[in-house]
Amino acid sequence: MSLDLLMQNILNPAIMMFFLGLFAAILKSPLDIPQPLPKLFSLYLLIAIGFHGGYELAKSGITGDVLKVLLLAILMAILVPIYAFFILRIKFDVYNAAAIAATYGSISAVTFITAGNFLNTLGVNYGGYMVAAMTLMESPAIVIGLILVSFFAVKSLNDDLNGNTSRLNLKEVLNESLLNPSVYILLGTLIIGFVTGEKGWKAVEPLFGNLFKGMLAFFLLDMGIVAGKRLVEVKKVGTFLIGFAVLLPVFNAFVAIGLAKIFGLSKGDALMFTVLCASASYIAVPAAMRMSIPEANPSLYVTPALAITFPFNISFGIPLYYTIINNIWG
Amino acid sequence: MEKAKKVEIVIDSIHLSYLLEKLQKVGVSGYSVFKDVIGMGERGMMAGDELTDVFKNSYIFTLCDEETANKVVEAIRPILKKYGGICTVSDVLWVK
Repeated sequence: MSLDLLMQNILNPAIMMFFLGLFAAILKSPLDIPQPLPKLFSLYLLIAIGFHGGYELAKSGITGDVLKVLLLAILMAILVPIYAFFILRIKFDVYNAAAIAATYGSISAVTFITAGNFLNTLGVNYGGYMVAAMTLMESPAIVIGLILVSFFAVKSLNDDLNGNTSRLNLKEVLNESLLNPSVYILLGTLIIGFVTGEKGWKAVEPLFGNLFKGMLAFFLLDMGIVAGKRLVEVKKVGTFLIGFAVLLPVFNAFVAIGLAKIFGLSKGDALMFTVLCASASYIAVPAAMRMSIPEANPSLYVTPALAITFPFNISFGIPLYYTIINNIWG
Repeated sequence: MEKAKKVEIVIDSIHLSYLLEKLQKVGVSGYSVFKDVIGMGERGMMAGDELTDVFKNSYIFTLCDEETANKVVEAIRPILKKYGGICTVSDVLWVK
């Protein structure tokens, strides 16, 4: 990885704001962003990325290449939690292994957005359909996590409240997977962006386009504070999980880069696909896991994703993956 | 003033709507909720600083007669057993 590329990434205002927040928490500065605001920023970013993705998708159309990328995305969203689960079983019980595996099988929209920002700075394009790929990759891991628990748990410690022994309550699983706020808003805005096309995008661009980088920087400041507060818990999760939180994303990235090369993705698409496979969810999946697998300890699945994998990816991971892709693609 | 039972519950915010449904089913006609409650308990620090409600509690209280209070306790006991949280019932005087 060239030092220039690494510095260019880290010296990006949004990334620097993340570290500003991170150090504020480490140094115990009382800096705080009032609670409803981070939720607003998060919604803003999801709407902006969904809308823009839909508009780009309307421009490019839904071609065979697009469908290929979407299928690859689903394939990885199913595979990653399965092999992650078996690696995690070395150290953890079925419940914790399944919840952590689901977290790493899903994606982080903010990492994706940061990677998009990185590509924009380099002047490299990626397809709007990558947003559709991201949306498709968010939910399968939740379902896979629950299937793994129902297959491998010796017996359900706490059966369903209604007395059902099956954990796979179809209605609940579908509700969690498809109607969780990030999937719902991404899918909804993607469709709106696709249907309204250029005219629609131009109408909302002053808010969702021009202000995007500033809002991302603001949001990352909050993410830094939250990640910094979680850092104190990192010691408690153990060296195995700390190593897992760095090595699994890198391994996923290598698998993704290999698949992207085999299936002929463009350089920009390859990076976005790689980042999706290498990132872990700390918003949608933890909420679903807390509901569906209450036996699992949330500190074990939120802390590594938020305090290790996310900072690693946005500072070192993205330039590292891009350097590898750039060398292979030429 | 009238004798009544005050039921207080602290539970993960994520399970709030499910719990409120249960309360209504057993005949609770009114309640108050503090949505963003932070604290510390057997599930660790609930700092309330995440984007999801995973590390945040909600506090619910309601006033009712003894019979309804017993029904509430029976309805929410399995929820507390499964997801954690606390519930207390106390005697109060209701100003009417």
